[in-house]
Amino acid sequence: MTTMKMERGALWEVNSRTIVYAAIGAALYGVLQLFSFLLPGTQNVDVRPAFAIVTFFGYAFGPVVGLFTGFVGNMIGDQLRGYGLLTYWNWSLAGGLVGLIVGLAPLYLSRWVNGNLRDRAIGGAVAAAVGVVIGFIFIFSDIWVGGSSANQLLTTGYVPIVVSDLIVGIILTPILVYAWEPVKEQLGR
Amino acid sequence: MNIAPRYLGRGSWLARRDPRLLVLVVVLFVATVSQVWDGRAVVGLVIIAFGYYALAGIPFREVRRNWIAALTLITIIVLVNTVLTGSRFEGIVQHSFFALPLIGTPVSAESLSYAVTQWLRYAAMLAVGFPVAFCVSPSDFGVTFARLGIPYKLAFAVDLTFRFLPSLAGEYQQTIDAQRVRGYEPGSGGNPVARLRRSVPILVPFAVNAIVGAEDTIDAMDLRGFGTGQRTWLRHLAFDRTDRIVLLAFVALLVGATIAGFTTTTSHPWTPQFLIRLAGG
Repeated sequence: MTTMKMERGALWEVNSRTIVYAAIGAALYGVLQLFSFLLPGTQNVDVRPAFAIVTFFGYAFGPVVGLFTGFVGNMIGDQLRGYGLLTYWNWSLAGGLVGLIVGLAPLYLSRWVNGNLRDRAIGGAVAAAVGVVIGFIFIFSDIWVGGSSANQLLTTGYVPIVVSDLIVGIILTPILVYAWEPVKEQLGR
Repeated sequence: MNIAPRYLGRGSWLARRDPRLLVLVVVLFVATVSQVWDGRAVVGLVIIAFGYYALAGIPFREVRRNWIAALTLITIIVLVNTVLTGSRFEGIVQHSFFALPLIGTPVSAESLSYAVTQWLRYAAMLAVGFPVAFCVSPSDFGVTFARLGIPYKLAFAVDLTFRFLPSLAGEYQQTIDAQRVRGYEPGSGGNPVARLRRSVPILVPFAVNAIVGAEDTIDAMDLRGFGTGQRTWLRHLAFDRTDRIVLLAFVALLVGATIAGFTTTTSHPWTPQFLIRLAGG
């Protein structure tokens, strides 16, 4: 598996590289989640610099790694905070879906993904935005799981989390792409 | 910095169970609670959940902060959901106490009992979820998921994730120290974008170093032929009689709640008469 410029068939490949990148991504996301700060004006939504790990790993290493990083990484964060792996499983899965959708960028942003470094960085920001807006729709499953109302989920869940993670994804994903690309060249990946 | 998962329930009755049981109980219990809205039935589920939690033997002083944080979060969710938005009660006759100033949402016997029920449902789910956090040895998660039918490569990734945590936490601290030597000041305050920018000198080297460091693990796995065949796990898991009984009990609870949902009123919110009378109904 090469990174960024991925063959369509290789998108779903699961090999030792996929496994290790997924595990590293989830562990990074889990560790960094402990260091987030509240978004001013909201009660319970953090600006999570850690979330850039999900969008970046999805973009750089594919949908399987992105899904795992978001899903398992969020569960690890909950585990470290003592809530248990599965207590907020649907929020974790929403994070995983973001990583999955960003990882599918070669299918819908091929011009940017296969372009020069600047194009790939822009592609990372766009894919992060698409992933965040679509992936977090899954939190509306709380209507059935937790009995929340759609209104409440929209105003105090979806909109704040999408706004905060859009800020994070659009700013930090391209920065991580710029930092990773030269290193990737050095490693011969 | 030690951020490894805390195995606080070590040696307790629940910690001695097959870890798959703890995971399955959460799944079954959440599926059960999701179907029940009658406050009287929810109280029964809360008793079961906290009885189960007591078997985990988790010292309360060690998890007090976790409980405070979790209960604060669900209180905020419930307050916003039922009291402030109140959208669940459109088209339903409400026995109102008063209307909230400015937004005009009625606070009624129905919305209050709904709020209490929802809060209890979340608390019950938390009580059943906490033992997974504190009564499963971190080294058992990989084999647990593998034996639950997750493809072994992904189960191995879960195992690997837990193994990476302590070393990554150490590297995180090293990165902060190294940047501080170079004059980095994390600071506090400022708008979110400014604070994000301040996280870049930590986040970027930390993430890139972790990926580069992963190359050794990839090489080691390739050299050992990872992925060429089904792998076995050093740790063997087997349900004993007690595990089966507990599992059956939670399956029965789920089946019972499902049947009751169709045949009785447990899937509908219940409002105590005294609250209705109090509201002048």
